[in-house]
Amino acid sequence: MMASSYNAKDEDGNITVSGPGGGALRSKKPENTAFKQQRLPAWQPILTAGTVLPAFFGIGLFFIPIGIGLYVTSNNIKELEIDYTGSDMSSPCFNCSQSFSWNSTKPCTCTIPFHLDQPYDSNVFMYYGLSNFYQNHRRYVKSRDDSQLNGDSGSLMKPSKECEPYAYFEKKPIAPCGAIANSMFNDTLELFYNNPNGTKVKIPLTSTGIAWWTDKHVKFRNPGGSNPNFTAVFQGTAKPVNWRRPVYELDSDPENNGFINEDFIVWMRTAALPTFRKLYRIIQKKDDLLPTLPRGSYTLEVVYNYPVRSFEGRKRMILSTISWMGGKNPFLGIAYITVGSVCFFLGVILLIIHHKYGNRSNSADISS
Amino acid sequence: MTWRSPLALVRDALAGQRARERDLRSLVSNLPFENQKKTRQPNRYFSGNAIKTTKYTFLLFIPMNLYEQFHRWANIYFVGLAILNFVPVVNAFQPEVALIPILVILSLTALKDGWEDFRRYQSDRKINNTPCFIYSMKRRWKDVRVGDFVKVVCNEIIPADLLLLHISDPNGVCHVETANLDGETNLKQRRVVPGLCIMFVPESFDSTVVCERPNNNLNHFICYEKPDREKVGAGIESLLLRGCKVKNTQYAVGFVVYAHETKSMLNNSGARYKRSKLERKLNTDVIFCVILLFTMCLIGAVHSLWLQALPGVPPYLVPYSTGQLDSPALSGFYMFFTMIILLQILIPISLYVSIELVKISQIFFITNDIDLYDEGTDSRAQCKTLNITEDLGQIEYIFSDKTGTLTENKMVFRRCSIMGTEYPHKENIRLAVLDEPDSEEEVIFDQPPRTPQTGWSLEAEDTNLEDARHHHGGRRKSKISLNADSSVAFSSPLETEVIPDRKLLQKISKTESSGRQQMDPYLDFFLALAICNTVVVSTATAQRQRQSALTSDNLCYEAESPDEAALVYAAKAYGFTLMARTPDSVTVRLPSGKDLVFEVLDTLAFDFNRKRMSVLVRHPVTKEHVLYTKGADYAIMELLGTPYAIAADTQYHLDCYAKDGLRTLCFTKKIVSDEVYESWSVKRRSALAAINDREELIMDTAVQLETKLSLLATGIEDRLQESVPDTIVALREAGIQVWVLTGDKPETAVNISYACSLLKDEDLLVIDGHTLAMALSSDLQDRFVDLAKRCRSVVCCRVTPLQKSDVVKVVQDKLKVMTLAVDGANDVNMIQAADVGIGILGQEGMQAVMASDFAVSHFKHLKKLLLVHGHWCHTRLANMIIYFFYKNVQAYVNMLFWYQFFCGFSGTTMIDYWLLIFFNLLFTSVPPIMFGIMDNDVSAEMLLGVPELYKTGQGEYKSSTFWVAILDAFYQSLVCFFIPYMAYWNSDVDLFTFGTPLNTISLFTILLHLSIEIKAWTWVHWLIMVGSVGLYFIVTVAYSAACITCNPPSNPYWILQRQMADPMFYLICIISTVVALLPYTFHVLRNSINPTPLMQARHLDKLDPFSRDQWIKEWRS
Repeated sequence: MMASSYNAKDEDGNITVSGPGGGALRSKKPENTAFKQQRLPAWQPILTAGTVLPAFFGIGLFFIPIGIGLYVTSNNIKELEIDYTGSDMSSPCFNCSQSFSWNSTKPCTCTIPFHLDQPYDSNVFMYYGLSNFYQNHRRYVKSRDDSQLNGDSGSLMKPSKECEPYAYFEKKPIAPCGAIANSMFNDTLELFYNNPNGTKVKIPLTSTGIAWWTDKHVKFRNPGGSNPNFTAVFQGTAKPVNWRRPVYELDSDPENNGFINEDFIVWMRTAALPTFRKLYRIIQKKDDLLPTLPRGSYTLEVVYNYPVRSFEGRKRMILSTISWMGGKNPFLGIAYITVGSVCFFLGVILLIIHHKYGNRSNSADISS
Repeated sequence: MTWRSPLALVRDALAGQRARERDLRSLVSNLPFENQKKTRQPNRYFSGNAIKTTKYTFLLFIPMNLYEQFHRWANIYFVGLAILNFVPVVNAFQPEVALIPILVILSLTALKDGWEDFRRYQSDRKINNTPCFIYSMKRRWKDVRVGDFVKVVCNEIIPADLLLLHISDPNGVCHVETANLDGETNLKQRRVVPGLCIMFVPESFDSTVVCERPNNNLNHFICYEKPDREKVGAGIESLLLRGCKVKNTQYAVGFVVYAHETKSMLNNSGARYKRSKLERKLNTDVIFCVILLFTMCLIGAVHSLWLQALPGVPPYLVPYSTGQLDSPALSGFYMFFTMIILLQILIPISLYVSIELVKISQIFFITNDIDLYDEGTDSRAQCKTLNITEDLGQIEYIFSDKTGTLTENKMVFRRCSIMGTEYPHKENIRLAVLDEPDSEEEVIFDQPPRTPQTGWSLEAEDTNLEDARHHHGGRRKSKISLNADSSVAFSSPLETEVIPDRKLLQKISKTESSGRQQMDPYLDFFLALAICNTVVVSTATAQRQRQSALTSDNLCYEAESPDEAALVYAAKAYGFTLMARTPDSVTVRLPSGKDLVFEVLDTLAFDFNRKRMSVLVRHPVTKEHVLYTKGADYAIMELLGTPYAIAADTQYHLDCYAKDGLRTLCFTKKIVSDEVYESWSVKRRSALAAINDREELIMDTAVQLETKLSLLATGIEDRLQESVPDTIVALREAGIQVWVLTGDKPETAVNISYACSLLKDEDLLVIDGHTLAMALSSDLQDRFVDLAKRCRSVVCCRVTPLQKSDVVKVVQDKLKVMTLAVDGANDVNMIQAADVGIGILGQEGMQAVMASDFAVSHFKHLKKLLLVHGHWCHTRLANMIIYFFYKNVQAYVNMLFWYQFFCGFSGTTMIDYWLLIFFNLLFTSVPPIMFGIMDNDVSAEMLLGVPELYKTGQGEYKSSTFWVAILDAFYQSLVCFFIPYMAYWNSDVDLFTFGTPLNTISLFTILLHLSIEIKAWTWVHWLIMVGSVGLYFIVTVAYSAACITCNPPSNPYWILQRQMADPMFYLICIISTVVALLPYTFHVLRNSINPTPLMQARHLDKLDPFSRDQWIKEWRS
């Protein structure tokens, strides 16, 4: 609209001046275009009570139901955490936690009884949790060699410098190299259901399907391709200093051994925060009629290998059912409800203000 | 080339050095040495004519350009940081990647510099290879050497500074157009060095030319020639300057005195750089940012010690290759530098580049504004200083000259007083602008000035009717021809609008018929008008053929100052038509139709000390030597020999004229006896040939002759420029103080001030030069400024250019305000003293324009330049800078900083390093630049309609604004970090999966924050905003899909893809963004309850144009 009204002026104004030299010079008159004259048609929103009212009410109406949904979903998730650090005298793992060193060969086992008040119906995810463990420490995060883990045979024998000082052990390259691999979590956790009749039933734990599909199939690969003879493939490498077994003896299943062992892959995905959990096992639901984990008493058997005393850390075992929103966390639901309510409330205030001041703007006086 | 001993070479070089440094240079013709070796050439020490304006050479471009760029401390800082990355102990993630931003910035700048330099190289080559005719074999500009003879044909551009020796025209005069040099379009007269024979043969030229060392003064040159017999002096009037065009002759031959070191080259100093107020503030804020950065790094370094307090060595602490961990103090020390690298983005690297881009665009918009374009002179607004556009929005004081600034400097003859009798020219009242100071201004200024016919043709009776028709026709025709060639100065049709006074006409016709022509003061008066000037007569159609018979119809007068043209036109209106002017004669046609040819014996040119000029002629009839002198009244009155009564009457009339705002001039006549003339002319000649103190000697001789004059008088009017009162009223409403500093008499100054609505009430301070000198003495300065501050208007009259600049400096220093000086002529001092200098592309001289920061063609353009462009430039730039600080603090620095609390202050980033760099360089860099270039907070119409908005725009960038933005950024970063943190607390989230929503939230918050700040959305805005978001997702998705192990040890593979499949990701992003932007509610509340004037203006902008104008009108009344 604005732009068009200026076009008429353009035509008669375009004079050409013939310079004294005789050659016809172009007039220096600027082009009368909407862009050059800064008259591009524009939408000019103004933030006033009247204009933003709908947004506030909209946010309120949109957020509160979502918040309620999130809150309910989170509440329906069943979760159980058992701390087995054993720093207390009373804890069953106290002895194990005291007598530990990385090189001890004798496994220390402790047993922790616990009770489920409610049956867990769907698949149950079993996590181990660590606290005060800075897996995101700058130099720790760097200490890995992705090409080695991707099956590159060159990197296998010649690990990246980033792995230092965990790149070579007695002149032999370490596979997998680096501080992350070296500090891999190595407790073994087992669950037993204490039948009311007194027998202990071992609960079957699935150890595959716990890592990302892309990690397992793209990012992590064993060297030597599909060669099943891991001993030959890893010939000439050393195991990480803190490990008890070489990497090719992590599991008996060749699809879950070597670099593509899922426990290893999960550990290698470094956690973002110092208190974290990592998926350990999945308890598959077998029967539609029976709950995966019925009510009752259970025993957690821990082969206590992983030391946490040096950094005042804690170790936990977590059992959790899962929903579309992941694990149990009421925060987001509460946040949505709160923000929705605040917006709605602000909307009401703005409505009042709009009624009080809304008509003033047109008769406003600029002379202030 | 033959071998020469190095000693000889050194000796030769030293001799060359001496020859160049010497105050006087002796030059001889090259022709006798044509076939000799270079080493034997007499003029070999002086540089050739080839020019080289390029800064760099091809091979050394990179080192030289880097050297240039490192003059900027910011670049050194950023390179220093990049180098710090390579120090092993700081454990940078990927030192190479950290180089990318600074490399991009440096190479972009280098590319720009290289391109500009290449353009310069091309234009140099084109100029150097321009053909020209030299009296030798070579025919290119670059081959011209000192001592050559160059022949230039009409309309050809002169290749070097030439001493004019010969032209085709037998009278030895040609003209040059200096438009390329100083923009002045009037023709300047040049004459061949006197005393040379007409038949000129270069081969026989055996004189030595002695000239001064090259300097940059365009209006000054002295040299003399030593043909073996005697010295012949020559000045600037015989020098053809490089870059000018030759006119009015078929060809001209000159001797090259300066090649390469020409006056035009020495004048070429390139664009200037000033530092704007906003930039100074910006630098303080950058220092605050540095302090903030160091504080954060210190916090990080101290906290990192905490890990050392653990009972053992945790497995996540990686020792060095030696197996050792650093001591706590040392690791804290290293951590400080690691943190600096991590948080370095706090000082925005792209800010400086963005500011530069925005300023370029602002200059583009100013020069392309059609409202600042003047059709008459075909000139746009010019920005000469490239980096103070935003200062236009900060002006608090304007200092304006009068002549050529407030007034058009197009003079019109208005009234005259002859022999003590006043001829008021009442017929002109209808046209006159300032005849009645009491009348209402609107009536005065709305009067169309071109309706003279009715009054004149009705009143003109009897004898003069025919004459009048004749003139009227002539006027018409000249109008048409002038419009066709509008570049000729001082010849707009307005000047011809003089309607003769009836009584005076009758008097003239009476004396003419009575035959007492020689003695009559009335005839003398008009002869003086016609003769006593340096006006060049040319015909509009054929400027060269001046010998042909002329009719008065198509005459075209080109004068160096506009009052001369006005007087010649006035004489013409009374029938005394200046027909032709050569250096030796002036032809004047009398009303009777008879042509009188006066022999011109000498012209005593105008200078600022004498303040007058004279022409000495021999009267064709009486054969008397007659001296006509013209000058300012006070310069003439003291030299009078006429009876006191007439002088007193005339002085009274002149005072009346001055009160009416007219500029006054006096004419005198003196008859010089033969003996006096003879003795005087000897002195004169020796003065002309002198090389030392030539000017003074010439002036002395002029003063000697200009005594005992008899008086004639006149008053001419300087018309106010279009819409000056309007503009001044608007500027004052905008809160700007306008001071007028003029050299005029107090009466004239006050009158003009009233006319341009500067004075309306009693709060006025008029101060003249003498008083001002005292007021500016150091002990009175404070009180003077204090007094001036309380006055609504200040008018300083009779002030010298130096005083003008002193006034500006004092106000600037004492009041700490932004000042702007406007001038239309040559007050270079004042313009340079002020923060912003504006030149008016006026009628007289271009010196002010050359020294100014901005140049416009009319005073009225100041209104749009300040109120609209100034406001926009400042608002845009200020908003963009604030936004940049906000963005960098918010986006990464704070997010990264908060994350340090959860990674043991180890300096980890939760986002892939490449994405981090892309974020600043790609995803969020264009929107703020677009914001800085294109945002329109209030429309131009509104800003012009309500000048008060200008004042409110000045507070746009305060230090509180900066801190509010930083606080806002802190709040937003807290929200953007801790909402995802809470949502992912105690989950199995990994490093980059946690970082991705942070990154995304950050992007959305930054862009939505900007969206709220953007006042007007055009399609460009939409494209860039949507494009930035699109680019973020496309690049990130592509990068995390393609890169499996390509960027060790950081690995973002498939992270975003997984996140985008997770509804939690979106829920977290939405709520964080909403909470981060919630404080804008305060803005909303303020806009609704207590809107700022700018906000109200934006409301009004939304109305349709008609009702908006209606509103403005109502509000005005």
